[in-house]
Amino acid sequence: MTTLEKLKEILSECKGEDLDITPETTFEELEFDSLDKVDIVMQIEEAYDISLGDNMQLSTVGELIAKIDEAVANK
Amino acid sequence: MQTKLTKLLGIRCPIIQGGMAWIADASLASAVSNAGGLGIISAMNAGADWVREEIRKCRAMTDKPFGVNIMLMSPHVEEVAQMVAEEKVPVVTTGAGNPSRFVKMWKEAGIKILPVVASTALAKMVERAGADAVIAEGGESGGHVGDLTTMALVPQVADAVKIPVVAAGGIGDARGVVASFALGACGVQMGTRFLVAKECTVSEEYKKKVLAAKDISTMVTGRRLGHPVRAIKTTYTNQYAKLEADSNFPDEKLEEFGVGSLRLAAKEGNTEKGCFLAGQIAGMVNREQTAAEMIEEIMADVEKRMEGVQWDV
Repeated sequence: MTTLEKLKEILSECKGEDLDITPETTFEELEFDSLDKVDIVMQIEEAYDISLGDNMQLSTVGELIAKIDEAVANK
Repeated sequence: MQTKLTKLLGIRCPIIQGGMAWIADASLASAVSNAGGLGIISAMNAGADWVREEIRKCRAMTDKPFGVNIMLMSPHVEEVAQMVAEEKVPVVTTGAGNPSRFVKMWKEAGIKILPVVASTALAKMVERAGADAVIAEGGESGGHVGDLTTMALVPQVADAVKIPVVAAGGIGDARGVVASFALGACGVQMGTRFLVAKECTVSEEYKKKVLAAKDISTMVTGRRLGHPVRAIKTTYTNQYAKLEADSNFPDEKLEEFGVGSLRLAAKEGNTEKGCFLAGQIAGMVNREQTAAEMIEEIMADVEKRMEGVQWDV
């Protein structure tokens, strides 16, 4: 499963509907609230056994994928 | 009564007073701490000098532990965070986010850290960052509220973390305290009940509103802007709700409409333009007492209700 596919699974589960996301999708358009974002970060960290930092700013899906891949590579 | 919370904080009763902005000052905090609970000074959006002054006043009035509530969205959060470390305040509670960037500094100053959380993920995150306990606050509370209720949130947070859990939101007497123990908490945080404490310096109009409130007297506004707030229904909240529902009314104007409304209620008792924050238990609050009378009454009733009950709290 690619990082994008895994992320699609996590974000869709959090939103309660199937989301069609691309690396260009912004978190602003996905309209997650602050608690959703905390939940998403925790789910990613648990899924990949990585740490993304506690006050991460989420901008686009692509940027998040890059951060995840970098953290996985540095494990 | 000893619980994990009283042992952690070095207090006599497992009751923390909520850090209510414009209300929780040295007078109320010292009274709650002297009564055996943990009094809290609200740093709200104030600068470090004002908060330091309150801390010193509080120290002059009590030799018991007390805390400061730090609102992480405050424009002065950095200087206030630094100042509480310098002052070596015994306890810090935090609201509106994750305090992880301050944890190291506060720990080095010997401060116990209790973030207020509204979800299990945030509870896990602050536990990992080094929090000593979490305050799981349900949407029954006054002020800023999350979606989850105390009944649903507290046991899920208790399952999610290993650190002690304090229940908040909807607790006004011994029944709420015992219920919180049953849900997996080892203490409670109460705000609304302390609004009418004799030592609470909030405006008389504010106290009257709380004393007159019924079960259905509060409402939540502000969802549209992403920061819902529970307050007693008044001309102001009704107007706000109408403007909020009007999609032609711009967000910036709605934001402006809210500015200063809590101060007007708390300090000036302005019943037209003030926003009187209070929780759903306001209907249970029907007389002024000293903080000590409140805490003694609650704890005596808790002991009675828990007679013969063996719980690990």
